[in-house]
Amino acid sequence: MSVMNLLSSALTLVSQTGPHLFWITSRAAGIAALILSSASVCVGLLMGRRLKGVSGPDLRVTHEALSLATLAALAVHGLALLGDGFLNLSLTDISVPFASGYKTLWTSTGIIAFWALAAFALSYYARRWVGVKRWRKLHRFTALAWLLGIVHSLGEGTDAGQTWFLAMTAIAVGPPLILLCTRWINSSSPSPRTVGAPGR
Amino acid sequence: MQPDKPITPPGPSREDRALEGRALADARRAQMRRRAGRIRRTIAASAAALFAAAFIGVYVQLASGHDPALVASAAKRSSTSALAAAGSSSGESETGSGEESSSFSAESEESAPSSVTTSQS
Repeated sequence: MSVMNLLSSALTLVSQTGPHLFWITSRAAGIAALILSSASVCVGLLMGRRLKGVSGPDLRVTHEALSLATLAALAVHGLALLGDGFLNLSLTDISVPFASGYKTLWTSTGIIAFWALAAFALSYYARRWVGVKRWRKLHRFTALAWLLGIVHSLGEGTDAGQTWFLAMTAIAVGPPLILLCTRWINSSSPSPRTVGAPGR
Repeated sequence: MQPDKPITPPGPSREDRALEGRALADARRAQMRRRAGRIRRTIAASAAALFAAAFIGVYVQLASGHDPALVASAAKRSSTSALAAAGSSSGESETGSGEESSSFSAESEESAPSSVTTSQS
C-alpha cells in the first residue's frame, strides 16, 4: 500500500514537473559546469607547480578531461533552454550576445564566457599551428572567461540567492581563485632570481 | 699453471639491449595510456554524477515548492492581486479571496515555471 502511495506521489511529481524538465536540466548542467570549470582551472593552475606524488601527465589528462566535461555541461546548459516553453529562446538567443531580451546583460555575459572558454580550451588541439608560446599566453585568458562565467551564474542564476548555492560556489571557486591570485602576484612581482642577477 | 678464470655468461648484445629498452618504453607508454583512460573515465562518471545530483536537488526544490523562482513569482502575483483586491469593492472581500486563490492557480499554470507549487495544491 505504501509502495503504491509512493509510486503515485512520484508519478504526480513527474507529471507536475514535466513541463519544467528542460529548465531543471539547464540549471543542473549550469551548476555542474560551474563546479567542473572551477576544478579545471584549479588543476590547470596546479600544473605550473611541482607537486609531490602527482605526475605532470596525470594533471594534464585531468585538466583536459575536466575542460571537455565543462564544455559538454555548458552545451547542455544552453541547448536545454531551447526546449523550455516558458522562456521560448531561439538558437540565436542562446548563442549570440545581446540578441536575447531576457536579462540581456547577464545572458550575454554567459554567452561570451562560453565562447571564450570553448575557444581557449579547444585551441589546445591547434597549439602547434598557433605556436606553443603564443598559445600559452592566450590560454591564460581562460581564467578571465571562467570569472565571467561565475559573474553570469551569480547575476542570472535562479539559485544565486540561495545559501546552499553561495556556499557551493565559495567552496568550488575559492581554491582556484586563491591559486590565481598567487599566480598573478608572483608574475607581477619580479622574481628574486632575476633581481640583481648578472645578465647572461 | 694459470689460475682458472671465472666463467661469466656473455652480456646482452647491443641489439638485445635496444630491444629491451624499446619493450620497456612500450610497456610504460601502454601503462600511461591505461592510466589516462582511467582518469578520463573517472572524470566522465564524476561529471555525470554531479549533473544527476544537481538535477535531483533542483527537482526536489521545485517539486516541494521551495524554488526561488516560484517563490518570487508567487510573491509578486500575490502582492499585485492584493492591490487589485484592495482597489475593488471592500464588502466582497471574503468571497473574493476564495475566487482569487483559484485564479492564482490558473495563472500559475499559464506562466510556466510556477506551476509546480505543490504547497498551493
